[in-house]
Amino acid sequence: MGYALVLVRSASLNLEAFARATGTHPDLVRRLVALGILDADRDAAGELWFAPSQMAVMGRVQRLRAGFGLNYAAVGLVADLLDRIALLEAAPREARRPGR
Amino acid sequence: MAAGPRADRRDFYEILGVPRTATQDEIQRAYRKLARQHHPDVNKDPAAEDRFKEISEAYDVLSDPQTRRRYDAFGPDFRQVPEDVDPEAFQRGRAGAGTGQARGAGGAGGFGTGLGGDLGGIDIEDLLGGMFGGRAGRGFGPIPGADQEAELELTVEEAFQGGHRSVTLEGPDGRRTLDVRIPAGVTNGQRIRLAGQGGRGSEGAPNGDLYFVARIAPHPRYRVDGRDLYVDLPLAPWEAALGTSVGVETPRGEMKVKVPPGTSTGKRLRLRHHGLPHPRGSAGHLYAEVRIVVPAKLTDDERRLFDELAAVSTFDPRRR
Repeated sequence: MGYALVLVRSASLNLEAFARATGTHPDLVRRLVALGILDADRDAAGELWFAPSQMAVMGRVQRLRAGFGLNYAAVGLVADLLDRIALLEAAPREARRPGR
Repeated sequence: MAAGPRADRRDFYEILGVPRTATQDEIQRAYRKLARQHHPDVNKDPAAEDRFKEISEAYDVLSDPQTRRRYDAFGPDFRQVPEDVDPEAFQRGRAGAGTGQARGAGGAGGFGTGLGGDLGGIDIEDLLGGMFGGRAGRGFGPIPGADQEAELELTVEEAFQGGHRSVTLEGPDGRRTLDVRIPAGVTNGQRIRLAGQGGRGSEGAPNGDLYFVARIAPHPRYRVDGRDLYVDLPLAPWEAALGTSVGVETPRGEMKVKVPPGTSTGKRLRLRHHGLPHPRGSAGHLYAEVRIVVPAKLTDDERRLFDELAAVSTFDPRRR
């Protein structure tokens, strides 16, 4: 099997579309935005818009909640810590200099 | 419920690393600890997901005293044994026939959970869906798979030319082999994405992506810094002093480099854009780093000439 690099869809999703795409309830999505776990833009009419990358964030929220029975506030903390660890782990990898 | 048992399945107690006599508390502790280590969002290793599912399934069976008793009595195929066969009676029968098996210390005692314990026979974790994998889908609906990460060690030549690499990963259905296209000019830490090849989503939710993180292996000749390559250029003292033209090994083959007169150790001669290529920009450079090397043993003629040079020269490399 061969795989090519895949273009990322760039269209934003509104609340309904985002909830449908992630199989979640719009109320839950709204709550996660309020908790600062999901990032969303609010347009002039007050409607929430989500970048497609937020779908992966939502997936992680669902997995962490299902896997550990975490409440949503704790999911936010764990997600932040995982991101920070990923950054710290990536830093020495990129800073690796030639051997002298 | 979980998928049907596989023939090559490991023992559930072994998976959780507990003895068959473990209490429910010990089983839960072992499960929680392992789940934290192997959760696909914590552990990006592609093998972690299956390990997590295995752990979840083992816990699924052993955390319920009823299922655990049946597992102890009937073994991995316990789901095939009709519900009305009494595990204890079955085991006594087997023991009598001389095939005695250690009996699990099952029982309802000590069956507490961190979430409030046993509520009149209903496991509250069941209600909340305490995990996925073994109990996927209880109240959680489809959950997309996690992204995974694996390191891909490349040679400098592979990073330079690009190419294809066959990578074998352990997967749920045994090993799978992926053909990874390595773009020319890949650098250390760069991620190559294989869409949909990461963790599996449950109930038709999309799979995660698999990322290969490129790591350029140490090379006997080249050192890599971003897209720049560094290579040693050993020179004889007279070549460095008088200037010369020498061949330098590059990934593209040998290149002639002009060494200007009066070149000292540490000087970098740049070969513009002869480093690693850039798919959307200009290539890195190749730097030949001068290192002056003297003969370990001088011939009589060489010694005489160096003596002469030493007598004539007023050059002092330590003068400030």
